[in-house]
Amino acid sequence: MSRLEISRFQVVKASMGLTARNFFVDPQWIIPSIIAPFVFTMVSLFIFSREAGQTSAVLLAAVLGGGMMGMWGTTVYGSGESIGFDRWNGTLECTLSAPSPLIWIIMGRVLWNTMEGSLNGVFILVIGLLWFRVGIGIANMPMFVLSTMVTFLSLSAFGMLLANLIVLSRRGGFITNGIEIPVYIATGTMFPIVALPLYIQGISYALGPTWGIDAIRRSAIAGYNSGLHVSIYFDLLMTVMATILYMALSGYLFVQVEKIAKRNGTLGDY
Amino acid sequence: MGVSVRQWVLESYRSLLGSMKFGSKGTIIWDSWDMWVLEIAVLPLAQISFFYFLVGYAGYSPSMVEYVVVGNAVQTMTFSSVFAVANITSSDKWQGTLSSLLVTPANRASMIMGRAIYQIIMSLMISITGLLYGYFLFGVNFSSADYPMLALSLVLTSMSMISFGLLISTIGLYMRTALIVANIFLFIGLLVCGVNFPVSALPSWLQILSYAIPLTYGLQAIRGSIAGASAASLILPISQLLLTGIIVFGFALGLTNSFEKLSRKSGKMEVY
Amino acid sequence: MPEKCLETVDLRREYLNRSFFGKVKSRTVALQGLSISVNKGELYGIIGPNGAGKTTTIKILSTLLLPTSGTAMVLGMDVTKDLYRIRKRIGIVFGGERGLYNRVSGLQNLLYFSDLYGVPASVSRKRVPELIEMVGLSGRENERVEKYSRGMKQRLHIARALVHDPELLFLDEPTIGLDPAGSRNIRQIIKSLKQSGKSIILTTHYMFEADELCDRIAVVSKGNLVALDRPSGLKKQVKDITLVEIKVFGDPENLIERMKAESKVSRVFSEDLEGRTTIRIQTPEAPEVLEAARRTASEYGIKVIEASIKEPTLEDAYLRMVEE
Repeated sequence: MSRLEISRFQVVKASMGLTARNFFVDPQWIIPSIIAPFVFTMVSLFIFSREAGQTSAVLLAAVLGGGMMGMWGTTVYGSGESIGFDRWNGTLECTLSAPSPLIWIIMGRVLWNTMEGSLNGVFILVIGLLWFRVGIGIANMPMFVLSTMVTFLSLSAFGMLLANLIVLSRRGGFITNGIEIPVYIATGTMFPIVALPLYIQGISYALGPTWGIDAIRRSAIAGYNSGLHVSIYFDLLMTVMATILYMALSGYLFVQVEKIAKRNGTLGDY
Repeated sequence: MGVSVRQWVLESYRSLLGSMKFGSKGTIIWDSWDMWVLEIAVLPLAQISFFYFLVGYAGYSPSMVEYVVVGNAVQTMTFSSVFAVANITSSDKWQGTLSSLLVTPANRASMIMGRAIYQIIMSLMISITGLLYGYFLFGVNFSSADYPMLALSLVLTSMSMISFGLLISTIGLYMRTALIVANIFLFIGLLVCGVNFPVSALPSWLQILSYAIPLTYGLQAIRGSIAGASAASLILPISQLLLTGIIVFGFALGLTNSFEKLSRKSGKMEVY
Repeated sequence: MPEKCLETVDLRREYLNRSFFGKVKSRTVALQGLSISVNKGELYGIIGPNGAGKTTTIKILSTLLLPTSGTAMVLGMDVTKDLYRIRKRIGIVFGGERGLYNRVSGLQNLLYFSDLYGVPASVSRKRVPELIEMVGLSGRENERVEKYSRGMKQRLHIARALVHDPELLFLDEPTIGLDPAGSRNIRQIIKSLKQSGKSIILTTHYMFEADELCDRIAVVSKGNLVALDRPSGLKKQVKDITLVEIKVFGDPENLIERMKAESKVSRVFSEDLEGRTTIRIQTPEAPEVLEAARRTASEYGIKVIEASIKEPTLEDAYLRMVEE
């Protein structure tokens, strides 16, 4: 990569702005990514509330998990669209021929999508709280805010990794549609990962959002026990480390994306 | 009349052949082998697992766990019976082929039907895979199952659900939001059709929706035949399934014509 | 010796068709060793039939595609290495409907691409309105692109390619699908761009357009350069043939067949329009053939409305070159 006078900030900002504009013009496109997490949360809450003896702490944990699913659903969907959007819109060549590296353009889009995801998460959270009358009392507000922000970053980084994978694999639809529910399972959004078979737990520990949601729950619910015998600081540390790992990996993958783009003159035609 | 029926059959047959030839290439999202694998093998497993672990954690009894596994195995057929069918029109809009299709003199219903029939096979494969997962991985008991009855129930459920998909796809002729409607109905069954808990657990206003969707009756018939219920006790859900299927199909046919007229008037055919 | 802004040597590009398992099934050669060089400030045309390699050439020169072999230097830099620095100094216009964000306004499209090209906000704030003015979109810049006509979209496309004030512009069939007024509009913009000193590479299917605009024209066919000259020079290459053009009324089949059989005739084209047929006959002996045609027509009772001898156009030259 040769030296550039183009400010990365300018590109990320512009790309975020355009994605946002497209969102406001036609917000219906994110609805598909809202529905699955929304219905999954509602069904889970019905199941939990039908069983006697479930405390409100369990319901609150589930509602928070629902918010997490909402964030994740939008992030994964948006990442799949990061390049798909240009391909579909016919602007891929114009975007590729600009002198700013694609990675900053993708980053702008992923950041916006994660923000959209947070909105989605809040939406599910509010509906869940109202419908099932879950009392919300955040035990440790500063910690809760910190955990949420760190989790947001780790989701963005995960989205970046995914966006690069999707561009590279030419099987974008497969990854986008196939990874959504498995990640709900593996990250323990609705039930603690200790309830999972050991081989799935192995994957869980490698996913940043697993630690992120644990930190969020620990800070929100006094005395919450997920079965992971660690402190909230360890949760946060793991989330940050996963974020860094995802960023490094997506940086590496991006070099491959660039190579393919130049060799074929396009990024696939699916 | 004789001529037009014959023509109708011929046209359906031709469009069926046409859609089989284009095969998976016809739609944007479901367009390659990996998507078939996803639809048939991956998504059902993922969805069944999610709810299997969830009800396990919530402390459901083994019989209720079985209830949930069977429910999700059957519900996942919605990916192809409702979502893919409803997507037919949407993808035509995306590719700009809708106008070229609508200028053909072909009977609309047979045209859409011809393409939808393809999805019956898909729906059945999805649900059967789901039930096999249930047997091999999640401990569903098939020892007293009435297999002919199960087969009948599955076929009727998938046909009725495809009618449902057709109904949504006709909305796509007119609205730019067909994709959203399709997405809603992709998952709404999970909540209202007695997939994960009996319909009676829902607020009564939501139960109205439950009884309008064929999946609700289909699930009763399928669970009944797996449990080996007597044929007599299955007559009710099966006839309810048939009836809702036919009503929904009739609605789809009627709406196709009026929506086409409307979209000509409003000029919204290619707007997405 | 004029300063060069672009030079390619033996540029070759193959596309591999892979099977399901990634095995190479076949290869398509899009360029078989193209060598061209373009001077600074020149308007250089590339013409050729579909599949001749025009778009492949443009893609390689604009750093979107790597050549299989050969070298291409753009503004003194290698397209395989200095892509980001090249991209900052070139602009590309793709013809056709696509390539703009339809849901947002024309202005937003220009501002977005200004950012992607790293144009400082202080500069783009001034330049973008100027560009909108130049391409005649003033007053419409805040409307969504999906409401624009084809011609307006194409003009916006050109403005988009100019947001970073590039020295070298690639125009890939910029008038394709436009009505005559729209095309003329684009041609005027292209002329004024040339006057402002930009080097331009233009591909087109319209011969009169190439004739009107280009300083030099490269004719490519099947991935090879088959001719390179000024438009007048290309036309001179077919000086040996002149054209006899006759317009007739009535069934012209027999006449066309007989003219094709004449020994001095090299080629016959015909075109029907509302019952009349225009027959164009390529021949080195125009007066003689014209007489023969009149005679034959009256033999078959075909009414000749008009008959004349014409100078060959660029299109005649082009057709002969790409068909040989």
